[in-house]
Amino acid sequence: MSFLFGRGRSRAAADLPRQARDHIMKLESPNGVSKAEELARVLNQMKVVLQGTQETESSPEQIYQLVTALIDEDLLHLLATNLYRLPFESRKDTQVIFSYVFRFRPAAAAPKSDPIALSYVVCNRPQVLVELCRAYDHKESATPAGSVLRELLKNEAAAAIILYDDGDEPGSSCKGLNAIDRNRPQSGRGVFWKFFDWINKSSFEVAADAFTTFRELLTRHKDLIPKYLSTNFELFFDKYNNTLVQSNSYVTKRQSIKLLGELLLDRSNYSVMTAYVDSGEHLKICMNLLRDDRKMVQYEGFHVFKVFVANPHKSIAVQKILLMNREKLLVFLAHFLEDRTDDEQFIDEREFLIKQIRNMPSTPVVSQRSVSAS
Amino acid sequence: MADDESLASDYQVLEELGRGSFGVVYKGIDKITGETVAIKHIDLESSDDDIQDIQAEIAVLSTCASPYVTQYKGSFLRGHKLWIIMEYLGGGSCLDLLKPGNFTEAHIAIICRELLYGIQYLHSEGKIHRDIKAANVLLSDNGKVKLADFGVAAQLTNIKSQRNTFVGTPFWMAPEVIQQDGYSFKADIWSLGITAMEMANGEPPLCHIHPMKVLFQIPKNPPPRLENRFSKEFRDFVAQCLTKECGRRPSAKELLRHRFIRSAGKIEALQELIMQRQMWDANQNRQKHPIYYQETLQTISTKSSNDEAWVFDTVKSVVPPKRPTVKHHRKSSSVLSAAEEGFRKMDINEGPLGSSSPSSPAVSTIRKSTVRRAPSIMQVPASYANGSPRGSIIAPKRPLQPDMSFGNSGSTMRLFQRVPSDEPAGALVVRSTTPDDDVFVDENVPPPAATPVEPNSKEALLGRRLYSKAVEPTLAELHAQTSTMAKREALAKLSEAFAALDAVDPEGSYHLMNNLITAMSQDNKLNASVLRQSVQKFPDDGTPQGTVVVKSSTPSPSPAKLALSSSTNPNFRSHRRRQLESPVSKESLRDQEKQAIEDKYPGRETQSGMEHCKQLSDVLYNRWADGLRIRWPAI
Repeated sequence: MSFLFGRGRSRAAADLPRQARDHIMKLESPNGVSKAEELARVLNQMKVVLQGTQETESSPEQIYQLVTALIDEDLLHLLATNLYRLPFESRKDTQVIFSYVFRFRPAAAAPKSDPIALSYVVCNRPQVLVELCRAYDHKESATPAGSVLRELLKNEAAAAIILYDDGDEPGSSCKGLNAIDRNRPQSGRGVFWKFFDWINKSSFEVAADAFTTFRELLTRHKDLIPKYLSTNFELFFDKYNNTLVQSNSYVTKRQSIKLLGELLLDRSNYSVMTAYVDSGEHLKICMNLLRDDRKMVQYEGFHVFKVFVANPHKSIAVQKILLMNREKLLVFLAHFLEDRTDDEQFIDEREFLIKQIRNMPSTPVVSQRSVSAS
Repeated sequence: MADDESLASDYQVLEELGRGSFGVVYKGIDKITGETVAIKHIDLESSDDDIQDIQAEIAVLSTCASPYVTQYKGSFLRGHKLWIIMEYLGGGSCLDLLKPGNFTEAHIAIICRELLYGIQYLHSEGKIHRDIKAANVLLSDNGKVKLADFGVAAQLTNIKSQRNTFVGTPFWMAPEVIQQDGYSFKADIWSLGITAMEMANGEPPLCHIHPMKVLFQIPKNPPPRLENRFSKEFRDFVAQCLTKECGRRPSAKELLRHRFIRSAGKIEALQELIMQRQMWDANQNRQKHPIYYQETLQTISTKSSNDEAWVFDTVKSVVPPKRPTVKHHRKSSSVLSAAEEGFRKMDINEGPLGSSSPSSPAVSTIRKSTVRRAPSIMQVPASYANGSPRGSIIAPKRPLQPDMSFGNSGSTMRLFQRVPSDEPAGALVVRSTTPDDDVFVDENVPPPAATPVEPNSKEALLGRRLYSKAVEPTLAELHAQTSTMAKREALAKLSEAFAALDAVDPEGSYHLMNNLITAMSQDNKLNASVLRQSVQKFPDDGTPQGTVVVKSSTPSPSPAKLALSSSTNPNFRSHRRRQLESPVSKESLRDQEKQAIEDKYPGRETQSGMEHCKQLSDVLYNRWADGLRIRWPAI
């Protein structure tokens, strides 16, 4: 590999993306197998350039050449689209390539600035991010793409791209970060909304990975999410309750109830929470979870239910349901998950809820907040 | 995850290979390829902790492709059980192979070399095994050595942290792992050194010391060394692995150049170990009775009774309608109704119509109600004082199931043929009233040894409770932790014997235990060493409460809270006692856990993406505190 030394070295690095591109284009051709092997070799070389080896450090200059070439050849998009077709080791290499490329800052750049490839993708090529999400369509690509995505989602702009992708609609993120219109409700056809299906319909491994990414997307950025959830309140919670909370998959159901509780109790989501707990329909779903066959579903359901009961300004609808079931609830809660004798917080909260329900006035009262709101 | 159900039918599940705190492992056949596989069943419902931990580990597993690591083949959900399909290795674990005798240096050198290749692979992939020991080293039929349970073992035992994370594994832990100075790859090298000693001596160093004490000895003591009777090369290899300062400990790559490793022979030589084990098994002169996987045909039935559900119809009056008395009793914890419930269940199961297939609605409903609503025994001590029998303890719990015969069924064929549909009604009673029964019951259930006696004296009730609450769970726990086959069998026999005693004479088992404790308390040494740890968990009246297993993650609340709660709820008293008496030696661990639990208290900052504190839980907490203040103005 003498070409890897001397001045020719950086040119060689810069040439790798073009070679990779040629190979990917011919994956479908009759000699696709040999092309896949060559591609695997090229990807491995890229990885070595980015990562270095135990003996040699990677050179920032070479990496810079490689990153710009990757952008010029639009290889990031191509790799994301074809990830599932690559061989096992190449998928792992691609994952490493993505994470290095999206972290790379030239030595001259300001330390806090966005990595060049990331800001390029966010502003000019948001489709790369969308394609990485679509990797959940295939079980081969789900895990590597998922870990790349979760790293990318630490960046708020990248999260916004995924949340606001909405095809050709005006204000969609498909024209880049600056084109996003955060006040326009989503159509529900963007890539974010596909997560519901990936989580609910995929096999365990894919679904579990997609859920982890989904969770990251909804919990990390406190400036982005409250606005997004308020603007798309109906669409989001309708899908969330009907697809995830009612999922046939035990894991999806249990995890989504847990996440729901976390979303509602996050201070930054205060207005989303108050709107959520005003709805009698939401309370009904939640009360039925308390009666699920599975204890852990009951337990997670409890942590959503307590938000309704602890709310000092319960809506009329919520009060009515609680009052209609008051006696049942009191009996039920007294024996609810009583083998949890070690869980003190739970026992305290259960006691508190019983007291709250017992002390409710026997007819619904219009709360302060609803008065002032109306 | 719709297609997961059909994935399960691609596998024919055969006999049980082993069980641990993580679940049960079965041998199975991939019906499509005909390949033999190992299938691990993990009950997700039995764990509070995040399923995400398991997912993360599966993600790690699925990215491993090395001949030195057991191959992951897939995983899917079946109800609330997670099935993990792994490569099947017929040689068994090194721990199993140690049974006939310790390994020779030549064998150890080969195994260590292969393990180093595996460790090198993992480390190059950025992975740490964290649980290398003979039990986690598997051999194929032709002598290939593979690392198993990596990560999963660490993570999956982790999710059951309140059970036995530390029991059985500390011996292999590197000092820096125990001191929590941050893990590095080098921790695996230390564990390899201990494993080498284990293979040479049949057991790891310090194994006669209590695992909790070991956690203090490993960082404190000089590193263990092999005795002089071993060769210089071997002793040096172990000494290199067991370098206490992890910075100076060699890497896998460096160790592969060690003389002891370079002179190692071919893996085919390891077939001798497998042969030895087979010979040994044959000489045991005892027929093996594999336990076959059996799944009861049970589906989760949807709620059938309408009057059980909540009332959401606004047209109805605000006052909830009176529920039928039976239903009312079902939920009440009164002594009478509990007894009535018990009898009702018995009736349905024993009636001629009730003994239909287990998927019949009657049976599953009862099971459901038992699982969900049977009031916890710990919470209603009153019912015992009054001497009323309760449904959930009338039937004997099934004893552990090792590969040994039970009843008179000598042939494995008969066992295999016992499908749920033609099971005797008696067996159904056993199952439907076992409180921890799952939707998919996957063990063979032995026929009850004798018609269970209904306890009618206080002693009998206590005895029964002693069995169901203390003896049986303890034995099950111990069984799960024990990996030695002979030990497991002995334990299982004991468990079975106890089950028989409990079925026939619960009073006897009460007296047995009582006398045992008295005898122990009269002996100074026993009193100090045994009773101090376990018996104090028993309340003053001698009623056994909870399991004897030391729970490593008992939550430790703040003192103020503790005082409050112990006056509100009698359960906290025992809870508190447990906390106060957990060995001081666990302090560092417990402090961590305490921190973790206190973080969850209302009114505190929360972690994991919810740093902006939760106002609702603040409200909750304040209200609760206000309520307390009203009740106890002094506070």
